[in-house]
Amino acid sequence: MQPMIQVENLTKRYAGVPALNGVSFAVNRGEIVGFLGPNGAGKSTTMRILTGFIPASTGRVQVAGFDVFENSLEVRRHIGYMPENNPLYVDMRVAEYLKFRVKIKGVPRSERRDRLEEVVKQCGLDEVRNRVIGQLSKGFRQRVGLADALLAEPDLLILDEPTIGLDPVQIRQVRQLIKDLGKRHTILISSHILSEVEMTCNRVIILHKGRILASDPPENLVKTLHAGGVISVEVRGPAAEIAAQLRDVVGVAGVTADAGADDFVRVTVEPQAGTDPREGIFKMVAARGWTLRELVRQRTSLEDIFVQVMREEDEAEEERRESRRGLR
Amino acid sequence: MRNVLALLRRELNAYFASVLGYVVIMFFLVVMGVTFAVVVNYLATGPKQVTAMKIMFSMFWLPSLVVIPMITMRLLAEEKRAGTLEMLMTAPVTDFQVVLAKYLGAVVLYALMWGMTGLYVVVLRYFAGESSALDLGPIASGYIGVLVIGQFLIAIGLLTSSLTKNQVAAALMSFALVFILLIVMNWLAFLFQGGPVSKLVRALSAFEHMEDFARGILDVRPIVYYLSAAVGALFATTRIVESRKWR
Repeated sequence: MQPMIQVENLTKRYAGVPALNGVSFAVNRGEIVGFLGPNGAGKSTTMRILTGFIPASTGRVQVAGFDVFENSLEVRRHIGYMPENNPLYVDMRVAEYLKFRVKIKGVPRSERRDRLEEVVKQCGLDEVRNRVIGQLSKGFRQRVGLADALLAEPDLLILDEPTIGLDPVQIRQVRQLIKDLGKRHTILISSHILSEVEMTCNRVIILHKGRILASDPPENLVKTLHAGGVISVEVRGPAAEIAAQLRDVVGVAGVTADAGADDFVRVTVEPQAGTDPREGIFKMVAARGWTLRELVRQRTSLEDIFVQVMREEDEAEEERRESRRGLR
Repeated sequence: MRNVLALLRRELNAYFASVLGYVVIMFFLVVMGVTFAVVVNYLATGPKQVTAMKIMFSMFWLPSLVVIPMITMRLLAEEKRAGTLEMLMTAPVTDFQVVLAKYLGAVVLYALMWGMTGLYVVVLRYFAGESSALDLGPIASGYIGVLVIGQFLIAIGLLTSSLTKNQVAAALMSFALVFILLIVMNWLAFLFQGGPVSKLVRALSAFEHMEDFARGILDVRPIVYYLSAAVGALFATTRIVESRKWR
């Protein structure tokens, strides 16, 4: 099956400065893919190129098999798009606006009413149907934008920062909605809210300064980029001996001990890459007869990976710059 | 083309959902109404060579200078500023369809405004009775002239709106252009009376055209001129909107 989105060597330059530099990726049907990256990474630019709003400088971009430049109209018929900041006509009422949009999206007349009812229900807009958009809260406006994206039942949904500015309750609702939609649509979301991407997407593409740094399911990213987090141990016993013994456990790379406020010693154990020494630690502590109060592995969140990847990338770039200076 | 209809409907909706539509019509009717009253008073003083509607039509430049910029300034500038152009252009509609719909929306509003002055004709008919020189022919061609020239000015206004995100800048540019096209051309026609230049300038002068239309002369040449110039302006506007895809 042909991928829903196929991007090859996409470059976008603004006055010579590349906003996107050789980006290549594919999104298959049914996937929910998250674009993750700091502001200015190129997420919105990529989305605008996919929807045909701006052109690429070089590279090949295809959606549903159609080239976004040559067959822009056909591509747009397959996409439901919600841009950053969700621009809407604030002088129109919700129902009016959606009626207008359903027409220009080419939905056949006979299906229009049903589609309208369906999206209003899906996005919970029933109570605000006749309200002027300008008077709606941010949360409702996001929902109108989302409803609009869904109107023509597109194969591909492209959502740029769909939960920005929403409160936690609303974020959760949108997140759930996206998950449900993922069963019937291919979705590309962009966010710099990491937890959101972690929770809704089955693949994450990390974008930084116009390049792709990683593209993996969230669990894999955790595994490949940082093999598990540090282990926290709380043991009652003599601190120095505890530390020494822990260092001897198989799979332990480093140990830092702190005497706690009470008579328990708090130890941070750094495991060797790819190992889990918790069982070894438990057995050792039990053999010594010490009381073990806590044995927890800190889970690396996507946030940590994100920050780490950014840092590594910036360091690498700094090194490249240094070496260039050195050569000159 | 059903996209154009849907877009057109939205444009008309926009004029009347905000105060703009009403304010513009009100301004226009006040100016024209007062003018009409003055004209009628003047004509009541004795037999004259000219009819009421002819004078009204000859005043067309005054409301045009204000109304055209007012109704066209927001058309594209506001969409760009608010970011809603992105919503429009990522739907399966062409740039031309959007431009055409905006042009038609303004023309419909303009026609509506002028259509309301039909009331003056009714009033004249009522008071003048069966006799008199209420010749409907020149009046009809006068309205045609107003519409033909107006649609051209609207196309120009739409063009200036496409050049900027700032509505005020668009309004000022279109005011300047309407001023040049109407007033300055008329001055030039006046200055160069006689001589080869005068022929050219008079052929292009909207005042001359309007006068002919108001007299009942439906000369095809100015009509073709205004319609094709409008087409040219719409074409240019479409290219400008499209140009975001060339950068």
